[in-house]
Amino acid sequence: MELFFQTIIDGLLIGGLIIIVGIGFSLCFGVMHIVDFAVGEWVMLGAYAGYLMVRYFGHDPMIYLPVIFLIFFVLGWLVYPLIFRAVSGKGHNPVIMGLVFTFGLSIIAKGGALSVWGYHIQSITTWLSGKSLSIGLVTVPALRFSGFLFGLLVTLLFMAFLYKTKFGIIIRATAQDRDTANLLGADVRKVGAFVYSLYAGVTGMSGVLIGALFSIHAAMGAKYATLAFFVVVLAGMGYVPGVLVAALVLGLLQSFVTVYIGGRYTLAALFLVMYGVLLITPKGILKRGI
Amino acid sequence: MEVQAGNIEAPSLSLARRFVPLGLLLLIALIYPWLAVPLWIRFATEILMWAGLAQSWNIIGGYTGYLDFGHGAFFGVGAYITGIVMLQIGWPFWIGLLFSGVLASLLAMMIGYPTLRLRGAYFAIATWAFGEMVRQIATILNVTGGADGMQLPSLLNDLFFYYIMLLVTALTYLTTYLLLDRARFGYKVLAIREHEEAAEMVGVNTVWIKIQAFGLSAFFPGIFGGIFAYWITYIHPDSVLGAQLTDFMVVMAFLGGIGSLWGPFLGAIVVQLVQRILWLVWGEGTFYLVIIGVAICAVVLFIPNGLIGLLEGTGLFSPRESVNQLKKKIKW
Amino acid sequence: MILQSHDLVKSFGGVTAINHLSLEVEKGTVFGIIGPNGSGKTTFFNLVTGMYPVTSGKVTFNDRNITGLRPHQIAQLGIGRTFQIPAPFTKMTVLENVMVSTFIRTSSLRESRKMAWEILERVRLDEKGNTLVANVTLEDRKRLELARSLGTCPTLLLLDEVMAGLTPSEVKGAIELIRSLRTGELTIIVVEHIMDVILSLCDRILVLDYGEKITEDVPDKVVNNPDVIKAYLGERYSARH
Repeated sequence: MELFFQTIIDGLLIGGLIIIVGIGFSLCFGVMHIVDFAVGEWVMLGAYAGYLMVRYFGHDPMIYLPVIFLIFFVLGWLVYPLIFRAVSGKGHNPVIMGLVFTFGLSIIAKGGALSVWGYHIQSITTWLSGKSLSIGLVTVPALRFSGFLFGLLVTLLFMAFLYKTKFGIIIRATAQDRDTANLLGADVRKVGAFVYSLYAGVTGMSGVLIGALFSIHAAMGAKYATLAFFVVVLAGMGYVPGVLVAALVLGLLQSFVTVYIGGRYTLAALFLVMYGVLLITPKGILKRGI
Repeated sequence: MEVQAGNIEAPSLSLARRFVPLGLLLLIALIYPWLAVPLWIRFATEILMWAGLAQSWNIIGGYTGYLDFGHGAFFGVGAYITGIVMLQIGWPFWIGLLFSGVLASLLAMMIGYPTLRLRGAYFAIATWAFGEMVRQIATILNVTGGADGMQLPSLLNDLFFYYIMLLVTALTYLTTYLLLDRARFGYKVLAIREHEEAAEMVGVNTVWIKIQAFGLSAFFPGIFGGIFAYWITYIHPDSVLGAQLTDFMVVMAFLGGIGSLWGPFLGAIVVQLVQRILWLVWGEGTFYLVIIGVAICAVVLFIPNGLIGLLEGTGLFSPRESVNQLKKKIKW
Repeated sequence: MILQSHDLVKSFGGVTAINHLSLEVEKGTVFGIIGPNGSGKTTFFNLVTGMYPVTSGKVTFNDRNITGLRPHQIAQLGIGRTFQIPAPFTKMTVLENVMVSTFIRTSSLRESRKMAWEILERVRLDEKGNTLVANVTLEDRKRLELARSLGTCPTLLLLDEVMAGLTPSEVKGAIELIRSLRTGELTIIVVEHIMDVILSLCDRILVLDYGEKITEDVPDKVVNNPDVIKAYLGERYSARH
């Protein structure tokens, strides 16, 4: 019984982290209609960035979070024009070009990481590592809990930003009808660049947390890309509120499979669930996808 | 009063122009192994395999416009199936190949059924995840030998494998040409790529056509995988199911020219040559992945129609266009 | 009645695009649908052709319930449709575009080619038959839309704002063309903005606003209907007529 509750808690906490990756990814598609295949690589690079910071400057990786955010924001700002150009080529299917381009980016990132760090596994620790709280029947690892809180915080900030601020409204308008937004004065390209940079910054930042929680290695991106993908398949692409639910569901699923069946079967289980979902409800469980 | 151009069959002039160089190429390919050293025979065998693999990807990715980022899985599945058939069941190689091709095809159609009903982005994601999953499964199953892989009975015969690769590759290209460049199926596929909704609106059963195209595109990798397994003798999850397999197929098809018949062939040759050169210069390592990634991005940005696109002006490479240009000249 | 919609409703999230719409179209007639932008005209076409799923209600074609069928099945049954913004298969020739739509009527490529040429002659596009669509003007693309929709040998044709973007002389040509299609075998539903076009072509007109039927009647009565005039046609039009 204890194990059951523990599994639930673990699942929810993991879900919290998945949210960050899922929201950015979903927003990317919703606003710019770009499926960023490099989402997992942003996480990986963020993790390595945290690792490098700790290695060369010492201290706790958590204090570098804002710096990492800025670095990746800038990186995103630099990369976006290329993506935009890939997607805007005349006479070609923009979705295909965007997909292939970001696919290429992910290969560059992964190949680069492999070339520099090889297959070695690194890790970073923070003051929260190894600590935990006991609440009744369950123990809540402090770091995972922080990750979960972080995920919630990011979600709330995102939602507030999108629905309460003027710029957020512009973003949503651009997402729904690019041309009209253009006519109304929104600089579509800048909006896209901003959203993408925001997404890169947040995803990079989450990489530090993930690096502290799990291991860091050049091929780790695949795991998080998979999770991001599954989240949007369940939630429907572009539907941000659904990401919350989907992320938690996936976290729970992953947790239960790991505990009761075995860690090596999680990907297969996730895939089967996704397959089943697609069979029954093509637009995502909440039927709000595009 | 008006000449019905529809009744004019493709003029023999353009056919001769296309088939003579092809015939020469085939002739060279047939006598090549008798003139080359084993190392070069094996190199050519590998190029042939990649030319075929890239073309198979082209069927679903280029012609149909649905990007499959897990296509390598069908290669690996084919490899393992042939291995299992030969080792565990004890049947001959050819039976193994047959199973490999057919089962890979069926698997694709199964995966395609729910995923091809959606837009291309979902399909790309789903196939990518599928590829990852298959690799993981191969690592944990006993029948596949798990992470240790599988050792097949060994046959050391460079000529045999060269010719069989040549045969299957030729088959891949011939099938693509017949079904996709010349038949109703090809028109439907192209219509789907150009405007899926309009295609549906004029009666094309888009989902079924896509499923068929996907199944076809998986058949050849399945067979290539089986041949590869027997050729290399030892297979394991990273060698036949690694992500780099799909990466290669994608870059070769894109670099050469997606949606064209000869693009993948050209792409395969260029990429393989460049890779060998890189290995000589920088030593074997993972840096070539960076080059592949950069190549993909560069192609998308600068030559989205691939190298074939650059050469398009000569009219040699697009059968439909060359026939039409000819018709215009004849002034029907 | 070749086409009927029974209490048709379509909502997208919070927005109701089609609000309990019921209509009937008689065989062999030209039926017009007009309404301001966003009134649901194209949505209606999308519902009939199966491109959008219906929220509630049903559509019957020759008394057969076609709600929920996929577009290609509906095309097979004999409903053809043009898109407001032409959607040709750009990497093919004009001829090949039409050929594709004949595939459900014949299994021979030769026959397809023959049928396609005949259709191109009918819409006077035969000169451009072997030209790639990428090299063809907007007016020609609109003709191609029409030609392609005819390839499926439809008994009901849905024309979605065929006139949009055409010059006045091109519009004249288009009206003639559509008139020439009326053979008694073909029923046509036309969605248009230009009043003259609708009035000169249609036997009956339905006025749509916010997804609801405002009125449905013969052209003269519609034009003189005070609600319609006020909401849509404007004071100046009614003053002129």
